[in-house]
Amino acid sequence: MKAIRKKTNAAPGLAPPDPRALEAIGRALEAHYADLVQAPLPQKLVELLARLEAGDSASEVQGNGDANG
Amino acid sequence: MPTASFKEELLGEIKNLRAFAVSLSGSVSLADDLVQEALLRAWSNSDKFQPGTSLRAWLFTILRNLYYSNYRKHAREVQDSDGFYARRLAVSGDQESHLDLEDFRQVLRRLPAEQREVLMLIGASGLSYEEAAKVCEVGIGTIKSRLSRARSKLVELLGRDEARDRPAERKIRRGYPRSFSLRRASTRQNGSNG
Repeated sequence: MKAIRKKTNAAPGLAPPDPRALEAIGRALEAHYADLVQAPLPQKLVELLARLEAGDSASEVQGNGDANG
Repeated sequence: MPTASFKEELLGEIKNLRAFAVSLSGSVSLADDLVQEALLRAWSNSDKFQPGTSLRAWLFTILRNLYYSNYRKHAREVQDSDGFYARRLAVSGDQESHLDLEDFRQVLRRLPAEQREVLMLIGASGLSYEEAAKVCEVGIGTIKSRLSRARSKLVELLGRDEARDRPAERKIRRGYPRSFSLRRASTRQNGSNG
């Protein structure tokens, strides 16, 4: 038993997962992530990027952020 | 100052960084603070990035360190008052498929953070075991065992939630593929608005 557990790397105390369940979890994870990735960036981050791209150094941008917030 | 190629690559990684931050912290507002701080740090430390290695893994490492050193203690209270992040992010008009993804997220959040992050890094962000081990500052064996525990726990939790009505396996097979319609659903909605 020990050897099998080691070989399959199964978590102790939990039944070895059904391969179909694992596959479904993999797809669900991808869907979860894809949904997050396709969400538009909030204004706050868009503005930060614009300031960084405009050539401000990160410390200046950080300083401005602190002063405004 | 960061080089042009660093900037370009960084811009391409921001949405991935944010997705990881939301998954890690369980909160959109916390995630946006984390991403902002990680970006500033990456920008001013761009000379420390080794070209040819994974920028994604490097950014995730910065963000993860910020989370565990500064943010984690706030995470629980924010999560509770924040509302569930899917409601703030998803624009799907397809309530039925939305629920399937929502179910999954509820369960995902019940995993210990160390298991959830490994799932996200390897199962969703596409990092290698080696890269994930570096991000989490543990050995590859630990990554593999956390991943295995995380998957087993997910199967168990999903099964337990659904045990009243039907076997977990059927629920998973029946329900999850529908969450793929999320993107199409949101596209449709955008299209009809415009």
